[in-house]
Amino acid sequence: MDPLSTAMKVAASGLDAQSERLRVVSENMANAQSTGRLPGSDPYRRKTITFTAEVDRASGGAMVKVSNIGKDETAFPVEFDPGNQAADADGYVKVPNVNMLVEMADMREANRSYEADLQVIKQARNLISMTIDLLRSGS
Amino acid sequence: MQPVNLFNLAAQQARWLSVRQSVIAGNVANVNTPGYVARDVEPFEAVLDDRHVSMKTTEPGHMSGNNPLVQDVSLREDDENPTILPSGNTVSLQTELVKSADVQRQFNINTAIVKAFHNMMSMATKE
Repeated sequence: MDPLSTAMKVAASGLDAQSERLRVVSENMANAQSTGRLPGSDPYRRKTITFTAEVDRASGGAMVKVSNIGKDETAFPVEFDPGNQAADADGYVKVPNVNMLVEMADMREANRSYEADLQVIKQARNLISMTIDLLRSGS
Repeated sequence: MQPVNLFNLAAQQARWLSVRQSVIAGNVANVNTPGYVARDVEPFEAVLDDRHVSMKTTEPGHMSGNNPLVQDVSLREDDENPTILPSGNTVSLQTELVKSADVQRQFNINTAIVKAFHNMMSMATKE
């Protein structure tokens, strides 16, 4: 397989993985306030995503793919809010273990990696068009 | 035709450059993969030196023993970036982008030279 098409394919797998990661971040951020329904029940648990390198057999390129979407097992913080439907007998509510700052940092990193992948795709396209330009007659 | 071995050499370098670009793409795609070790290709000089002695071709029907194109450029671990993240990943995005700009520059030179030679040859064959 043509190495430049491989480059584009590999970078596209990076775009896929990073957008999946952005999806997980947005799920976490959207549910940052989602408490449970019943008194004393667990709220939304933060999701995590991990990547793994996988060699594409046809082209030999090191593609990236999502290996697993897991759960963050850290303990839930509690807040005193007796009026909430999920408050236990003492008036404490478990809130999701989502840290906005961590999610924002994760989002930025996904953004940067996505940009880098896009850059590689643009570059590969440039190289291909340089090669095609050789066929043009004249200068 | 024999004196001008340039097209063969240029084709080899173009192929080497595109393999390098695909390796860079692999590194950039895996920038957030835990435990991934950055890779790079062997330098072009090493690829050229690695070629075996070819058989002399004195007739058009003769075949030389080796393939003119770089078939498999061997990869090695990139030991130029000393930064290792806690996740065990050694990819440095800046280094990869610099390398990719380097590939683009060399490719540019390569195609410009081929184009110049191509123009010279078509000048000779015209009319």
